[in-house]
Amino acid sequence: MSEASSSLAYRLRSLRRLETFACLAAVIVLLLLPFVLPDFYVYFAALVLVTGLFATSLNLVLGYGGMYQFHHAVFYGAGAYAFALMLTKAHAPLWLACLCAPLVSAVLGFLIGAICVRLSKLYFGMLQLSLGSLVWAIVYRWYSFTGGDNGINEIPLPNAISSTTGAYYLTAVVVVVCLFLMYRIVNSPFGKIFQAIRDNPQRSEAIGVNIRLHQLKGEVIAAFFAGIAGVLYVVVEGTVVPDMLFWTVSLEVMVMCLLGGWYTFLGPLLGAAVIVGLRTFTGAYTEHWSLILGIILMALILWLPEGVLGLIVKPANSKMELSAETGRK
Amino acid sequence: MRKLWALIVCLGIFFCMPFTACFASAAKPIRIGIVDTYSGPASYYSDDVRDAFLMIVDKINSSGGILGHKVQVLTRDDKFRVDLGLSEAKELIMREHVNILMGTINSAVSLAVSDLCKKEKVPFLVTFGKSAKITGADGNHYVFSVDENTAMIGKAAAIALAKKPYTRYWIAGDDYEYGHDLADSLWKNLKKRNPKAVLLGQSWWKLGEPDFTPYISAILAAKPDCLIVATGGPDCVSFLKATKASGLNHKLAVYMHTAAVSIKPLGMDGPQGVLSTDTYYTYFPETAANKKFVAEFEKRYHHEPNAGALAGYLAAVFIQKAYKKAGAINTEKFIDALQGTSVASPVGKVTMRAFDHEVVLPMFVGVTKKEPGFKYLVASDIVTIPGKQIMPSIAGIKAARAKH
Amino acid sequence: MHLAVQLTLASLSQQVLVGLAETTTLFIVSSGLSLVLGVLRIPNISHGALYMLGAFLAYSITRMLGGTAAGFFASLLLAPLAVAFISLVVERFLLSRLYERDHLMLLLFTFALALVFNDVVNIVWGAGYRSMQLPSMFQGSFSFSGLFLPRYSLFLLCVGPLVAIGLWFLINRTKIGKISRAAAVHREMVGAVGINVSWVFAAVFMIGCFLAGLGGSLVAPTQSITQGMDASIIIEAFLIVIMGGLGNVWGALLGSLIFGLTDSLGVLIWPQFSIVFPYAAVIVVLLLRPAGLLRSTW
Repeated sequence: MSEASSSLAYRLRSLRRLETFACLAAVIVLLLLPFVLPDFYVYFAALVLVTGLFATSLNLVLGYGGMYQFHHAVFYGAGAYAFALMLTKAHAPLWLACLCAPLVSAVLGFLIGAICVRLSKLYFGMLQLSLGSLVWAIVYRWYSFTGGDNGINEIPLPNAISSTTGAYYLTAVVVVVCLFLMYRIVNSPFGKIFQAIRDNPQRSEAIGVNIRLHQLKGEVIAAFFAGIAGVLYVVVEGTVVPDMLFWTVSLEVMVMCLLGGWYTFLGPLLGAAVIVGLRTFTGAYTEHWSLILGIILMALILWLPEGVLGLIVKPANSKMELSAETGRK
Repeated sequence: MRKLWALIVCLGIFFCMPFTACFASAAKPIRIGIVDTYSGPASYYSDDVRDAFLMIVDKINSSGGILGHKVQVLTRDDKFRVDLGLSEAKELIMREHVNILMGTINSAVSLAVSDLCKKEKVPFLVTFGKSAKITGADGNHYVFSVDENTAMIGKAAAIALAKKPYTRYWIAGDDYEYGHDLADSLWKNLKKRNPKAVLLGQSWWKLGEPDFTPYISAILAAKPDCLIVATGGPDCVSFLKATKASGLNHKLAVYMHTAAVSIKPLGMDGPQGVLSTDTYYTYFPETAANKKFVAEFEKRYHHEPNAGALAGYLAAVFIQKAYKKAGAINTEKFIDALQGTSVASPVGKVTMRAFDHEVVLPMFVGVTKKEPGFKYLVASDIVTIPGKQIMPSIAGIKAARAKH
Repeated sequence: MHLAVQLTLASLSQQVLVGLAETTTLFIVSSGLSLVLGVLRIPNISHGALYMLGAFLAYSITRMLGGTAAGFFASLLLAPLAVAFISLVVERFLLSRLYERDHLMLLLFTFALALVFNDVVNIVWGAGYRSMQLPSMFQGSFSFSGLFLPRYSLFLLCVGPLVAIGLWFLINRTKIGKISRAAAVHREMVGAVGINVSWVFAAVFMIGCFLAGLGGSLVAPTQSITQGMDASIIIEAFLIVIMGGLGNVWGALLGSLIFGLTDSLGVLIWPQFSIVFPYAAVIVVLLLRPAGLLRSTW
């Protein structure tokens, strides 16, 4: 592969063309799925897409921003709760709930982010974990409002989107749009600076980048998309529970990012597919799911730290490209 | 690039594997799916639900099945998590095409799955979820409950406590649905029967609270006559331990649902004099049916059955009876047949109430005590409260459902 | 919000007293976590699982020794030792390969360990819960001038300072303590002067995990021993460590005091929302002092 590095630009361009083609094919496959798959697999595909969106939103800050986002599930749960509460308590129209829920997540992302970005790395992660646990504790305790541990059931959704196929189509369309937007963000000037901060914070600061501001922006964007994933989860599953905000969920999603490869854009989606798939289908054969997950995770970290997709798309190249580009600016 | 193809092929194989299962079934057994918690503390009860259920199912199958169909049981572990339980329920319904779904000890899972079953039109027998909402406010045509719920426990406890001279009460419990629901129902019913009762205060601890001492000292500071403990599962054991360690039971009266059963792991060191309500004792009622059930269960599993086993037993015999009455393997006929059906059980004749699909179950009230012949404390002075007296009122349920 | 109990000096001091006893286990567990975090730079999520393992082992060891008081005291030593041994194996064969990695990787790796330990507990002890007895000498409670204190809490109140003194001695007066303090500040330098850092790390990891096991075996007789009892303590321990300053054992002590006391006083003041008090305390502390109360070794 080393001889290719001389014609990096050419390689990248052909990669782009391949990518566009692959994306179109993927969208067509996604649209056709419900015609060929039994109901359960349509539901499963929807769940994979939702989890994939959630994981990709985490990867925005984790993989591209290098931020220790230890408690991303809070934003996912916040979106889901905001959506469900607006429908059940405020009897808001569907479109309004859909619109507001991610905004609630984004605002929460701003609040938590504003407190956390003052710190770096492990401190950032730990503080986020504690703030997130506080949010979880409140959701879990506030019976009259959030329904406590029972969560919220019987959420009034129109039949068109609560049926398995309906939920799938809504999910597929929203996820594709969100992935496209996130892809654009990652490749925008903002995204490039964001990655430069990850790769070399000192140098970025030296050339006049406001690290904290960028990290806060990244946090808000990631929270927003996680909120959308939360809304879609409600559409697919028809329920909201405080489990969604528990810290173990955050770590599981991190595992998805790691598995797929967190220097790649589609890695988290792949990771989500594998983890959700394993979780769903091993249940029929064994009760030792956590042992399986633990061993997979250990093996990954020991032997495949760049993830499955990272193995194919060499991370070193993309890193080189990034620092070279930001260096020019 | 070769690696990429290898990966795609691997993934393809991985995701196609489950399809093979779809085409495997040739003969048509009755498929019953159970989603329940088989890891973590809740499995203490859910294991017994499953084991007793399988024991009866094996008997049914060895005598030719139901209407000539064998019964096949599929179990899934929800790890006490709603998201897992829900996706497993979907898997059982949509992929395994189960005729009936059963489960869960976690009320939150029960409620979510009940919602799903209504949509998918699959009967759902709740085996150990205790929320009164399941067959009450959130009840529907497809959901049945074969165990007591918080409304029934509260009523039974209120009947027992109203006979006592206590007036100053304190409520403490698990800060989750079960605790709050039980406390609400108990207090409402107790106020009706004993208007002089006053509530001095409440404390709510988190599920799995490691240390009850701060709570106990705060409760003692208020000097109540009686403490109502609305806690479940392993927390019952922890609290009974703390009761013993702090001598709480000598300072005031303590009531706890399932105290006389949860006290078992403490051996002879459990606190005496704790008022308890229970649905099942291995030693009471001393009927032939109960003795036979205990003996069979012990022979097969080498330990005594608990309340979970009663629920498993009831689920199996209700299913058998309803299908036989319906005369066909048909969901709607099954539901019609199950409504109002009665079966014989270790605790006597038990009926499935037609209106709300809640089982009419008797409740036993006892006080923990050391008795000769037992290696652990047992309930003494047992009083049986017939199921009819503790059932939630139909008018109340109608009103709660109308609110939705 | 209404005051559940009238705040009197007596009830306050009562809550402080039982809060202090609660602090003991928190301190023991979080100081171990802090030690590992400070010297090895491992955010050890499996610390909670080791605590749980300690509780299960204490249960089994006490039963094996006939459930006597002597058996209980033996389990207080043997169970943590067993946990320390398990952690040694894990450190030598797995973690020692990963020291060069990113913290995130270490965090995820220890999460994997926690998952595995949880399932191992499930396989070995079964899914249900276990319960063991306090020795009869610890049954019951003392009462003096209106206050009451369970005997076992008094025992815990004695164990806590003992562990603290032991740790102080270990860190400040022994060779391994001095080396590890140096390694915490400048790892390469310690290696450069010819000390085998790898084994120092192994020893420190063992001591940290020993403390997790000790915490577990201390709480074993007071609560039901269940799978999943690690989920809440690990978060609490992390919060305490963060609040106290990463890697600072005294910070862990201070953090546990704040956490335990806000928890037990919260029960008195606003029982319905008492869970929020400790978390709120953490946030207030971190808003005022983002790097923790005491100087971090980082």
